[in-house]
Amino acid sequence: MTQENISGAAPSLSRLVQELNRLPGIGPKSAQRLAYYIIRLPDDEAYALADAVTSVKQNIVFCEECQNLTDASPCQVCSDPRRDQTIICVVEDPLDVLAMERTRSFRGLYHVLHGVISPINGIGPDQLRLKELFSRLDRPEVAEMVVATNPTLEGEATAMYIRRHQGRSDLRVTHLARGLPVGGSLEYTDETTLTRAFQGRQEI
Amino acid sequence: MAPPRTYRCESIILSYTPVDEADLLVTMYTRDRGKVKAIGKGARRATSKLVGHLEPLTVVNMSMANGRSMDIISQAEVVQSFSELKGDLDGISKGLYLAELVDGFGAEDSPNQNLYQLMIDSLTVLQADPESDMPLRFFEFHLLQVSGLMPELYHCVECRIELEPDAHRFSPNVGGTLCLECNPEDAHLRPLSLRALKVLRLLDRSGIRAASKLTMDDSLADELKSLLSTTVSYWLGKEIRSNSFLERLHNESTPGVYK
Repeated sequence: MTQENISGAAPSLSRLVQELNRLPGIGPKSAQRLAYYIIRLPDDEAYALADAVTSVKQNIVFCEECQNLTDASPCQVCSDPRRDQTIICVVEDPLDVLAMERTRSFRGLYHVLHGVISPINGIGPDQLRLKELFSRLDRPEVAEMVVATNPTLEGEATAMYIRRHQGRSDLRVTHLARGLPVGGSLEYTDETTLTRAFQGRQEI
Repeated sequence: MAPPRTYRCESIILSYTPVDEADLLVTMYTRDRGKVKAIGKGARRATSKLVGHLEPLTVVNMSMANGRSMDIISQAEVVQSFSELKGDLDGISKGLYLAELVDGFGAEDSPNQNLYQLMIDSLTVLQADPESDMPLRFFEFHLLQVSGLMPELYHCVECRIELEPDAHRFSPNVGGTLCLECNPEDAHLRPLSLRALKVLRLLDRSGIRAASKLTMDDSLADELKSLLSTTVSYWLGKEIRSNSFLERLHNESTPGVYK
């Protein structure tokens, strides 16, 4: 959006609309609505928002170990001595770490790739945090790597690439189980998922 | 009478992009309508009835509803998943290369059933032998053919004389093969060996299964690969992005007899 599109608006307001319009999923109309919402916010709430944006840009760094976003490197998970150092769970994005942590069922370490191999979008192995992963896998205490990329075509390709290029023959390499989601329906399940659900059936 | 608001189509999924909270913008190539872009509402949610049906390189029967700016996917049922192809890294990278080419050459509202069938046939053969590069060469050659860009292989494109069984030159810019006597100013001009010309003619005359059984040495394979991918890229007018990952995997594998 250009300032000409919202002629009549104050220059500072136009600038805010322009900046909001850059955000993913925010169109020109949504940007205007958000801008007017921010103007109507109490001062302390608006400044808290501005401060949060400034703070996140000033303080967030990549964890030197797992490459997750953190305020201090190494991050809380990597520096926690109670975490199992023998198992590394590889995920695509920082949001996946949050999802895994919500389950409270995994007590090992993470490694965040920050994307997946996406040949059509020109994203190859060099754009991911793979060198850092392979370097961590060289440590003898690491006994298992759980590749938890999304079960999409690109997620699977990334998992296969990691499997092919990790250099240790004694490392256990696993991926998360494939099958039916809780609340799903057999009728609408695709054949690949259903086949894998059968392969992974369990005693009840 | 108002046109129907819904339609059904068989299509192959080429790619998708996440949009909004949980939607997918899906690019597909349909048998009867050419390239179509449509929205899969909520398709990223694990419990969506669309999840798993919209993965690239999957043949799907779609029910679509006409939207204001873009059609909406209302139902999707997998016809062919190419699951074995997707279980192989080489298979995935080659399949995505084909998908990028179909996306580039396919046009919206311009059906090309030959292109659709070429894609299905190529994926089928590739699935049987994901390590083979010949299905890619066959696909590139016939992609030009079904797009009306078939290079001339039998006569010189300048002087029209019948080509002798000899080394010649080739340029996508002039439309195919040139005899050694003709020297047009052309930056895309490149040598064409007799062996490569013979293979191109074989690709022209044979079906994909027969062509895929062809084996050749590395130098001939490299010549064909360079010639066809350069020609396809020339007509596409841009670099083929998935080619670099394909090249990387190829270089990382043990060099040997070209399959």
